[in-house]
Amino acid sequence: MAQTEHSLKQYDLDLEGLRSRVLEMGGLVESQILAAINGLMSGDIRALDAVVAEDHRVNALEVSIDTDCSHLIARRQPAAGDLRMVLAIIKIVTDLERIGDEAAKIARMGKQSQAHPRLPRAPTAPIQHVGDIALGMLRKALDALARLDTVAAASIVREDFAIDQEFLAIVRQLITFMMEDPRTITEALEILWIAKAIERIGDHAKNMAEQVIYIVKGTDVRHTTVEELEREALN
Amino acid sequence: MNALMLGISGFTMAFGLFWLAWILLTLVYEGFSALGPALFTQMTPPPGSSGGLLNAIVGSLLMATMATLIGTPIGILAGTYLAEFGRRGWLSPATRFINDILLSAPSIVIGLFIYSAYVAQVRHFSGWAGAFALSLIVIPVVVRTTDDMLKLVPDSLREAAVALGAPAWKMIVFISYRAARAGIVTGILLAVARISGETAPLLFTALNNQFWSLNLNQPTANLPVVIFQFAMSPYPDWHRLAWGGAILITLGVLGLNILARAMFRR
Amino acid sequence: MMSATLANTERRMSQQVQFDNPKLKVNDLNFYYGKFQAIKQVSMDICANKVTAFIGPSGCGKSTLLRTFNRLYELYPGQRAEGEIRLDGDNILDRKQDITLLRAKVGMVFQKPTPFPMSIYENIAFGVRLYERLSRGQMEERIEWALTKAALWKEVKDKLNQSGTSLSGGQQQRLCIARGIAIKPEVLLLDEPCSALDPISTARIEELVHELKEDYTVVIVTHNMQQAARVSDYTAYMYLGELIEYGATNNIFIKPKRKETEDYITGRFG
Repeated sequence: MAQTEHSLKQYDLDLEGLRSRVLEMGGLVESQILAAINGLMSGDIRALDAVVAEDHRVNALEVSIDTDCSHLIARRQPAAGDLRMVLAIIKIVTDLERIGDEAAKIARMGKQSQAHPRLPRAPTAPIQHVGDIALGMLRKALDALARLDTVAAASIVREDFAIDQEFLAIVRQLITFMMEDPRTITEALEILWIAKAIERIGDHAKNMAEQVIYIVKGTDVRHTTVEELEREALN
Repeated sequence: MNALMLGISGFTMAFGLFWLAWILLTLVYEGFSALGPALFTQMTPPPGSSGGLLNAIVGSLLMATMATLIGTPIGILAGTYLAEFGRRGWLSPATRFINDILLSAPSIVIGLFIYSAYVAQVRHFSGWAGAFALSLIVIPVVVRTTDDMLKLVPDSLREAAVALGAPAWKMIVFISYRAARAGIVTGILLAVARISGETAPLLFTALNNQFWSLNLNQPTANLPVVIFQFAMSPYPDWHRLAWGGAILITLGVLGLNILARAMFRR
Repeated sequence: MMSATLANTERRMSQQVQFDNPKLKVNDLNFYYGKFQAIKQVSMDICANKVTAFIGPSGCGKSTLLRTFNRLYELYPGQRAEGEIRLDGDNILDRKQDITLLRAKVGMVFQKPTPFPMSIYENIAFGVRLYERLSRGQMEERIEWALTKAALWKEVKDKLNQSGTSLSGGQQQRLCIARGIAIKPEVLLLDEPCSALDPISTARIEELVHELKEDYTVVIVTHNMQQAARVSDYTAYMYLGELIEYGATNNIFIKPKRKETEDYITGRFG
């Protein structure tokens, strides 16, 4: 990316402002996920309520950043790298907002599962594990965006496979559980939805990584194979 | 400070206008009585009898026409060369310089030149010699105005014609001349106005002729020399005719200038 | 600092756009204003029936390059071109090349609208008469055709005898385009055709360029990048006499290969 400054300083400030607000939104979403999973594990209803309440801030940020992007396009007619950055930010912000929604969903599920008594321990440990991976992916994606690092972005895509595998493992475990004791079905299903939400977070992080590769390389690597993506990213 | 300068320039302008007005008034006052059909129908008379200025008028017209016919083509072609072809080298700046000298050369020098080069050779004065002398005054004026007017034609117009594939002569004739037409004609008219009043060159070349003659190979009557002769004489009716001639010349020059201005504005 | 050979390789790589049958093929062109070299070793292919734009900052050589295509520089002493420019295979810089024939094939429209000091009819007829002998009826047909193609016919058809200079700026420019088209060239060179015009006239002419490329190969020089983006199929970026990058307009404006191009296009120019 160009290191030189725009002849119009304000343009530079506008672009930088956009980028830092996206990272700010990412940070907020990160803390939402963390709070949701911790609250789930610990059973802290107040924490879970806070997550659900905070989601409106995430939504407001999405609208605000999208508006700023449309202003920038209208007034500056960005081209080349600047254009790719703005287009990618619009998509990244959508993914971030959806991650926020998933975090709120997890929090709601968590509250629900507190409502009925604990039956023989459902496998929540795998949830923590998969949640950590997803959180890690999100952090890495935001970091890749901040540093425009395509190598880091490419590795996120590989991790998404790992999450998908973990998710399938959880599903199998839960099926076994449900078959053994049908009274656990309700709770098991709730855990299933939570796991699904976390798996979706991973997908969204992967989308963000693909956008980072688009910003830097100019190639749209969505819906390509991992090998093609890595070839693009690592060249 | 502003008011002071305004005052001074206003005053000097009035001062200049004052003299101009006096000249014109004197002209009209003295010569008005000479204006009449007789002026245009009768010849220059011997002192004492009445007459007109017909032969002088006709002679002046003839020589002016000849001078214009000789001088204009030479002047336009030379001016065209300077403006269109003379962009490089030393020839054009040198030519322009010499032209400017000729432009401001004292007309008596030109008259003397034609006298020694032509009149002395053939041993008689003639209207042709007068026409040659006048053409030497016409040429620098036409060269200068043609050059200047053609230089005013923007190069973009020439480039557009050339880009279409027009050869150089077509570009010059149809585009450059067309565009500079008004200015070039103005230049010619101004040259004619200039030679209408020139006396000195005619003194040594056409001299004068009391009688009617259309033969330019003989001394030819002309207004300026007639005025000179009649004004210096002691006869009052000759004085009157001289004033009449002066008015004629003045009106003629005035008319040409107005015409030139009207053309240029279009 | 790159070595000369490495710089040359970079240059070759940037001229990656090649066509099978380019309308114009420029090979190692150098151009001098006296001692000053304005174009340095430029090679490129111009594709037929497409619009190619030359962009770059002032003094980069884009107008100079355009004017080599019809040898207009020969009007001025001290300007010379070295190298090859092949129009349909023939080198137009060759001494033996018939210049009138060249200018019949390659027309040009300039930055400042230049209607001749004649009627609208005569403006167009002047060019046609240089090459063809047409009857009055044929000439009128040709004039109507040219003015229609230049999107001017409806506005002037009732005043063909009025002076060309009586039209508005945008109309004058369209008249110049009609004049250029009337002689049926194959290539149209447009040197910043809209810079003296208001936005509406500019839009009309841009639309016109889009239609013209069906029948002509168009090369346009513009200092307005957005115009190049709107109007052209291929864009060449020049700087200080060198061809920095040349490619499909979509690629240049979304993902240019060279940092210099990116800097210029995004306005990061020092």
